Formats: sequence, C-alpha cells, structure tokens
Amino acid sequence: MKGYGIFNRTVKDLGLRRIFGNPGSTEIPMLRGTSDYVLTLHDSISVGMADGYSQYSGRPSLVNLHTLPGVANSMAFIHTARMNRAPVIITSGQQDSRHAFYEPLLWHDLKSLVGSAVKYSYEVKNPEDIERALKRAYAISLSPPSGPVFLSFPMEVMDQEGEYMGLDYSTPNLQILNSGEVERISELIGRAKNPAFVAGSELDQYGGIRELEELASHLGVPVFSEPLSSRATFNSSSDNFAGELPPASTAINMALLQYDLIVNFGGEFTLYPYLPSPLLPGKKIVSVGMSPSYKHGDCVFSNPKLFLNALLLKANGKWSFRKQEDQGNAGLIAREKKVMGVNYVLQRARKHFSGYTIVDEAISSSLLVRKNMGYSQKSYFTARSGQLGWGLPAAAGISMLRDKVLEIVGDGSLMYTIQTLWTISKYNLPVKILVLNNEGYTILKSFSSSFYPGVENSEFLSFSYNIVDVAKSLGIESRVADPELKEMDWLAQGSEAKLLVANVPKTVPRLFI
Amino acid sequence: MPPFFPTSEVNATLSQILPEAEITTSTDFEMNASEVLVATTFTKVDEALISKMPNLKFVQIASTGYDNVDTDSLRKRNIKLANIPTANKESVAEHVITMALAQLKNLLYFHNEIVNGNWPFLTNSSELMGKTFGIIGMGAIGKRLAERLLYFGTNTIYYDPARITDEEEENLGVSYAPMDELLRKSDIISLHVPLTKETDRFMGEKEFGLMKDGSIFINTARGEVVNEAALINAIKSKGIRACIDVYANEPPDPTGELFKVPNVLFSPHVAGVTVESQQRFITDTISNVLKYVQGLDPSYQVL
Repeated sequence: MKGYGIFNRTVKDLGLRRIFGNPGSTEIPMLRGTSDYVLTLHDSISVGMADGYSQYSGRPSLVNLHTLPGVANSMAFIHTARMNRAPVIITSGQQDSRHAFYEPLLWHDLKSLVGSAVKYSYEVKNPEDIERALKRAYAISLSPPSGPVFLSFPMEVMDQEGEYMGLDYSTPNLQILNSGEVERISELIGRAKNPAFVAGSELDQYGGIRELEELASHLGVPVFSEPLSSRATFNSSSDNFAGELPPASTAINMALLQYDLIVNFGGEFTLYPYLPSPLLPGKKIVSVGMSPSYKHGDCVFSNPKLFLNALLLKANGKWSFRKQEDQGNAGLIAREKKVMGVNYVLQRARKHFSGYTIVDEAISSSLLVRKNMGYSQKSYFTARSGQLGWGLPAAAGISMLRDKVLEIVGDGSLMYTIQTLWTISKYNLPVKILVLNNEGYTILKSFSSSFYPGVENSEFLSFSYNIVDVAKSLGIESRVADPELKEMDWLAQGSEAKLLVANVPKTVPRLFI
Repeated sequence: MPPFFPTSEVNATLSQILPEAEITTSTDFEMNASEVLVATTFTKVDEALISKMPNLKFVQIASTGYDNVDTDSLRKRNIKLANIPTANKESVAEHVITMALAQLKNLLYFHNEIVNGNWPFLTNSSELMGKTFGIIGMGAIGKRLAERLLYFGTNTIYYDPARITDEEEENLGVSYAPMDELLRKSDIISLHVPLTKETDRFMGEKEFGLMKDGSIFINTARGEVVNEAALINAIKSKGIRACIDVYANEPPDPTGELFKVPNVLFSPHVAGVTVESQQRFITDTISNVLKYVQGLDPSYQVL
C-alpha cells in the first residue's frame, strides 16, 4: 500500500471522517483518496472549525494545512486550540525531503515552527511511521490537558510502499478518581470558616456541572466561574452561582475577599492585564481536575465529575450563600432600546435563540453576552487566548454537529476570518450570525481609557465596512436590524445560515480598572 | 480617623491588594515615610503635612474637588496629584434633580403644613417637563445630569468654557449657550464647576440679576463659587428659590441670614455621598494607586 493509502486507512480507522483544510501542492500527494474534505478559504479557518468541532464533540478532529504558509497562517489558531484544550490533529505536507538540503520553495523546519503551541510534533520518515504517528497523535491529543498535536508528511513518503499494520492503540482513561484525596478535601471544606468554589471549563469538558451545583446547594457555598473560560463552567441560573471572576489579580482578590478556602474544580486563574497584587495571598487554594497547573496552592489530579460525586457523599458544613433574586432589567432594556444598546439586542436574541449553543467573539460585549444569554452544559464557547477571528470558524465547526448554533460576533472579529461565510454557504451549515457592530476595536478603546487615557480617541481604533454587502458576496443572506429588531425573527426563521447586523452604540464601556 | 472608619476592614482589604504595603490612618505624626497619600476632601493637604512626608510621590484625593490641596506645594516637589471626578456623578445628578423637584412641587411647604396640622388646598406646583434647565459646567457630573434630564423632557442648555463636541451635544440633547444667555433663559440653574481662582464668587450680583424672577438656583459644587450676599439679595428681591448643598464654611453658622430667607432648601454637603458612590470612590482610588504602583500614569491626573 502506498503512503497515502496508509494515511487514508488510518484516518478512517480512527474515526476521523472529515478533514478541515486548505490545500497546496505539498498536500496533494496525501489527499488522494480523501472523500470528506471541508474546504476553507484561509488555512487558519480550518483550525478554528476543527477546534469548535472537537470541543463540542469531545473527540479529536483532523486538519490539513499547506506546509509552511498554512501552518504559519494558523499559528494563532493552533495556540488558541491549546488554550481551549481542543484535541485537534494538525497535519501538513512537507517538501520532498530528498532535496530539503537545498531549502527549496515552501520548505521549513515545521516542527520548530509549531514549537510549543502543540503537545506533540513529529515529521514522518517512512510509510511505517504514518499509522503509528497518527495513532500516537490521536491518543496524545486526548490525554489531559487535551490539545493540538502536529504531524508533518514529506511528499515523497506518500508514494513509497508500506503496510497498514492495524496497530493496537489506546486512548487515555479519563475516568480517574483520586479517592484518597476526597476525605482530605472534605475535611478542609468542613473546617473552613467561609469556603467558595470556582467552576472551570473542565466541568463542561469532562462533566461535573450538575454535581457541583448539587454540592454547592447542599453546603450553601457560592460558585464563581473561572476568569476567561473557553466554555461554560456552571449553570448560570443556579441559586449558588456567584458570577464570573474578573481576570485581573486585584479584582479576583476583591471578589474572593471574604473567603478563606477556595476550591477550584477544573478551572484556571487566567490573568489579564497585569496588576501588582499577588494572587489570593494568605488564602488556602485547592484545585481539583484533570490538568492541575500547580501554579496555585494544592492540586489534586482527578476527574472532576467523579471527585464531586464522591465529595457529595462526604462533605459536611452549612453556609448560607444564595444569589440575590434577579429583579429583571426591564428599565435598562427600555432605555437601551432607544439607542440599540447591547443589552436590548441580546435580550431579544435570548428570546429567539433559547436552547442554542452560543459561540461568542463579541469581545467588548462578552460579559454582557454571558449575562444576558446565560450558559450551562455545552451551551457557550469562546476563545481563551485573546485572539480575534476564531469565533465564526468555531461556530461553523460546531454547526456540523448540531443545528442550533448562534454566533455573536463583533465587527472587528468578524473581518479576521470573514471567508468562513463562504464555507458556511458551501456546506449549508446552519449558523445564525448576530454581529454587534460598534465600528471599531472597542475593547482596545476601553483598555486605553483605563491605562493610557487619550489613546481611545485614536483614529486607528475605529473603522467601518459594509458587512451586509461583504456577507452577501460570500453567499450569506444578510440584513441590518431596524430599531424594533424585527429582523431577529427573520434571523431565527429556517435552518439556513443568515447574518444580522445590529448597529450598537460606539460608547466605550469600562471593562478594566 | 473618625471612630466609624472601618480601619480593620481597610487593612484586611489592603492585605489582599498590596500585602507589603503599610497603612497609616492619621496625619498626627512628626515624620512619615509614605510614598502615597490618599485623602478625602476634608483633609488639608497643605505645606505642613507635605513637609512631614519627604518620600511623598503621589496624592490621590478620593473626591471630585481637590481645593483642600496646596497644589503649589505639590508642584514644587514634583508630586503627582489625582482626583476622582466621576465616582459621584450619579449621586450628584440625582441630588440636583431631587432638589429641583422638591422646589417645583413645593414639598418642603407641604411637609411643614401637614406636620403643623394644616391641609393646604391650593398649590402652584409645576412640572420639570418643559422647563429650561441650565447647567453651568459640563464635566462628568454636568453630563450625567443632562443624561438624566433627557427623560424629564427639559430643554437643557449649558455653559462651559470648553464646549463639548457636536456629537456629545446631540447625544446628551443639550445646546450650548453663553453664560449670560443661560442665566437669562433658564428656569433652573445648577452649578457644576470646580473652585478655582476664576470661579471664586463668580456667581455675583450681576449673574443673579440676569436670572428669571422665581427661578431655581442649585449649588452642589462649592460654597465659595457663590457670593452669598448676592444670593440672599436675589432670593429677597427676585424670589429666587435656592437649593444649597455646599457652604463657604462647613458647617455653616446656623444663625446666618441664608437660613432666615424663604424658599431655600438645604442639605449638608452630601449630594455626592451615597453608599454606591462611596464604593465607586474606593474602587477608583484603589485602581489609581495600583496604576501608580505599577508605573503607569494615574487616571484623572491633575498634576
């Protein structure tokens, strides 16, 4: 069997049905025989789509990039997949190694290029490597912390003869309970004066949201969401939900000021921007999860869902946290209606898109997206890395697995990977797109006004373009919302992809200190 | 520090913000090595205090006004100064509207009549809607007041030496008017200017003379920006109704003439003081000190 045949056979046996990619000459040899190729019109989009696909399914996905240009074009997305813990297997073609010495066109040391953005990288040397490298990459992508892996395939290997061995492979056992630590953590909680829980993305990834809700309710303990999570962490409508931790150290310290014990289930304290306060000085911090970082306090390696189930049987104590009853915000919405405010738009979206999975890249409005739309298991995704352009591809990837996906995106973010609309149109993906158009980089304006006053008025932070015309040219039905938001009905109707632009105010919210 | 000041809570909070910082809560010392001084508007930051703090680099006033600070002394020593001009804008705007409505609706009169056993049958109460509301000083507080007035349906005009942009005027629903025109046209006038050499007693005989008879004058800025004798004269001669939150001397002499003339509503320099605004002052003060500590320019830097 030729190398490309081994490649196709292995991919099929691993259940990697689709290949997300944007090919070049170096990939043509390996793509012979490929049947389910999802074409994106920029390399990075394929990584973003695969990221969303993998996060939602919990399974590895396969990407094929065009050697140096494709990998280089996708670096930010590969980094994001790592931050999002998305098990994406990234492959690329490589120049024929028989003349690599001469550094020919398109050649580069690809392993060095992907560097630390992936968990594992390898360039196959012969046909026998193809099967074992793919199977190894598959398993490594899933081992905690799950994340992207990279394989490079020199062109000539795909035409060399080899054998498909049908090698055994295993995937990591994720059902690991560190039962020896349950008693200790239970006692720590029992002895605490005022404990607080932090819920992290692993509860959405490995399960445990329902279990943490039950534990928190039983004990009367507040549950905060980790800062800047890549996905839902908890059930935001729970009576024990205490809100989202801000990402800056001082703000986290203030939010957790009254608590002496912080138990973090599957989360991370992602920080931005720098503030001089050390993180949670003098507090007892315990992190339970599959990928403890050992950055803060005490760490317990365990599946959070299994650990929480065991803790439920042991933990004792009685505190009295219950979140304040939501009095509604009808007044705010009425005021914002007059100016097409973000809360007004999102409240209307909430009515139409209940039960949808939200993919959020409306950076300066993300807090409001989460507040207005709420979240629970597998209902909310965003990029943890801070890059722009990830949201639309990720929404497209998720829409290959379910037909209720709403992408809420800012005008700045949208432009980064707007070609995704072509892919959405070509494959009839059922993505609904709501653009919050504030004509500029409002997050940067907010950052500037907090830390570097005056810069927020710079001309280079504002821009505008005709979003509707661009979207139409890429095959997506598009409209601009009128003040009554009647088009929200239009957006929700049918299963076909549509895009609605809401021209929201250009006012700069205060998002930093 | 006053006895109600929660020193232990502040220390506990500070231990989570800057654990290595030492806090001193009194100015009754011979010398102090602090680099940062946080003070309210009620602490004199004068040469006497500054000279006892040889390492002082940054003064943060947790208030809008900073006329309690000897800016010349700070400038001489190259010490930075910042205030917090935005934290109380909501509370001051609400206070101004409260006072205006209390005057328009004769609330003080009705209250007094009823507690004295009378039941007034007639009223000349009027509405805020449709009135011309003049704002002198279009800073953070003036703008927030204008925003709130949008919903009352007033015709809002303003004067400020630095005119705001056309877009801001449109968004706030305000029109610019020169000072004399504003004084002549307004049914209600509210001051929102800092106390400076230029504004010291700038509301005098001439200005009150231009105001409409029976109009309402509100001062939540600083007592010193008003010539009190001229105000008393205007109240007596033109039936000006006044709302006073700030006084040249605080607390004022209760036997003063201002407290004997009719149609004046008083509050004790609390327009900007609410539970919520104090929380914002604390947050903004912490933010600015953190910016200073990490080498950034503090927000709202005056010097």
